[in-house]
Amino acid sequence: MKHIVRTAGTLMASLVLATQAMAQDKPEQIDVGVFTFTSGAPAAYGQPGAQGAELMVDLINAAGGIDGVPLRATIVDEAQGAEGVIAEYRRLAGETSYQVMIAALSSSNCLALAPVAEQMQMPTISWNCDTHQLFLDQQLDYTFRPNGNTIPEFVAYVAYLLQVNPDIERVAIINPDYAFGHDAAEIVKAAFRAFKPDVEIVAELFPSLGASSYQTEVSRLSAARPDAIFSNLWGADLENFVRQAQPRGLLTQSQTVLALGETILQRIDLPDGVIVGMLGDGYWLTPDAQANEDTVAFAEEYATRFGEYPVFPTMKMANSFMVMKAAYEAAIEANNGEWPSRDEIAAALEGIETATFTGTARLREDNDGYVDQVIGVTGPSDTYDFSVITNMVRYDGEALMAPLGEDPIAWIETLTPEFLETLPEPGSYN
Amino acid sequence: MLDMALPLIMDALANAALIFFVAVGLTLVFSVQRILNVAHGSFYSIGAYIAASMGLWLISAGLNPWLSFPALLLSAALVAMVLGPLVERTLIRWTYGRHEAIQILVTFGLFLILEDLQRLVFGVRSIYQDTPMALLGVTEIGGIFYLNYQLLLIVLALAVLFGMRFLIKHTRLGRLLVAVVADREVSLAMGINTDRAFVIAFTLGVFLAALGGALATPTTGVAPGLGAETMVLAFAVAAIGGLGQIEGAAVASIIVAGAKVLAVYYAPAFDTVAPFLVMLAVLLVRPNGLFGTATTRKI
Repeated sequence: MKHIVRTAGTLMASLVLATQAMAQDKPEQIDVGVFTFTSGAPAAYGQPGAQGAELMVDLINAAGGIDGVPLRATIVDEAQGAEGVIAEYRRLAGETSYQVMIAALSSSNCLALAPVAEQMQMPTISWNCDTHQLFLDQQLDYTFRPNGNTIPEFVAYVAYLLQVNPDIERVAIINPDYAFGHDAAEIVKAAFRAFKPDVEIVAELFPSLGASSYQTEVSRLSAARPDAIFSNLWGADLENFVRQAQPRGLLTQSQTVLALGETILQRIDLPDGVIVGMLGDGYWLTPDAQANEDTVAFAEEYATRFGEYPVFPTMKMANSFMVMKAAYEAAIEANNGEWPSRDEIAAALEGIETATFTGTARLREDNDGYVDQVIGVTGPSDTYDFSVITNMVRYDGEALMAPLGEDPIAWIETLTPEFLETLPEPGSYN
Repeated sequence: MLDMALPLIMDALANAALIFFVAVGLTLVFSVQRILNVAHGSFYSIGAYIAASMGLWLISAGLNPWLSFPALLLSAALVAMVLGPLVERTLIRWTYGRHEAIQILVTFGLFLILEDLQRLVFGVRSIYQDTPMALLGVTEIGGIFYLNYQLLLIVLALAVLFGMRFLIKHTRLGRLLVAVVADREVSLAMGINTDRAFVIAFTLGVFLAALGGALATPTTGVAPGLGAETMVLAFAVAAIGGLGQIEGAAVASIIVAGAKVLAVYYAPAFDTVAPFLVMLAVLLVRPNGLFGTATTRKI
């Protein structure tokens, strides 16, 4: 009896999978699951992403959709926790109208969803997943990351900091108390060991994610008298920290590096000279972005609709939609004009190289992306009534990535101070 | 170590001041009504939201920014006047005489409802209203710039501590509350309106929580979750000081804040858990807290 049940179950599962793998009829609508934070403290970062998705859907549909089929995005709030996110993912993936997911913002949700994507054979574009652990020691066939990851991102900040301040000796770190913050601290320390081994880490703070007060941390950092402060705080945490640190002179006492600082430029009057970046190349005011009339039009339309210009989560989301659209089009072409299956879309995503609003997205063999890193310092603008990023540099993403199969942290430690000389100079990308 | 002593003490006192407002309200309500009010943290966050909203409105209306100071007090008073009697006369009154588990479940349910209501009314994005902080400027102490507003918080916490002492020892209302705490039935027999005493005590507790929230807004962003974060610390303070002890709340606020600050300075990995490790250590030695006793009830 057991044998019959097992055989029947296997047969049914095979039938379902075979049905999904087969080319499909052209649908009336393309449903896309978009996972981001729309509530809680991370919504300060996630909501601009959701708004980017909303605008991209409208723009793509206004231009005729994908092969004439309109898009519809279903926004899923990641604030419900990993279990809820997985349940929502499974629910949406169970419907045939969903052929691609754009998920997720939180690295922990990305890590949780990757095995589910593999199990359900659902092409999933990680629009903001930064953890380098995503592709570490595992082969993922349905998860694709056309954005950067923590290794090139945080090595780039150390490189920029040492290029503009080669004499720094004392560094303090304040990062959020979870994997993203701790990973970043490890990468930053490894990069200092490689590029300037005599740098001393004089304080290493990990306030809770969503903390409301940073007054003690500000005192501690002030007391440590660091030459530089590195932080990958983000969203409302970053805004809280900066609002509390700035009146107490911390941001001018030390050279501050705010790795995700671009998101607050339009909301807070930062002093000039703070090193800020956007984890990748997704700044709407880079020379490349401004040379692209579609990007300029997108930014203006976003500002009209939402009351402020896009921030890099918006651009990451928009770029992910561009990657998805390019994959659909490539899959349709490869399928002789027939509507593709999930597997055929996944095949189109493999090794994809496509233009985005802010540069180029390129995936290597393991489905991880090469994305350039843009970094600069805050400065006044002639055009806008908020600080913009000046003295920019654009580092080649591939140059800052550990080679395929190598342990990323171990690779960073093989780098030498001479590596910095191979990089473009700050201010070379303006 | 020594060069860190002054900033460490300053940070501990500034942190303690904010925790004290909430903890003393919690302990007052417990002392008089024997209710461990889990929803107390929501009054803190509602006070913060109202104060931030009122301050932002004042600035956007082009009124004198110094009005944002009385607005902090007014916000707390508004929250207390509306929510204090309303909540006490409905949910809280229903729990009197019932099992402690019921009381905690009811107040926890209220906490969840109030948290959702805040999301509904104020949204999920952080609100910032830092005008009072900006107006007062900074002072350099031991080579570190402190907000004068942080120093003001310490003074205000002391004022609340001595104000509470004065209220209880030297006013008719205070003596009435002490009588109710000592023996509700006898107080009732002697003609004291205990229902009214309960409303007053609860409203005062709500006011202190809302005042803590309102006073916190100039230095912190107001976002969902603020109430829970503060409430957990207030419970630790109440447990360390001894439930129902005002001086205990003051001393325990400094201990809890001191533990957290020490951890940030010397063992950052433990900054979240440090107050609770201290609480555990105190309760192992004195199960009723530093100032609490097993038999007597005092405020």
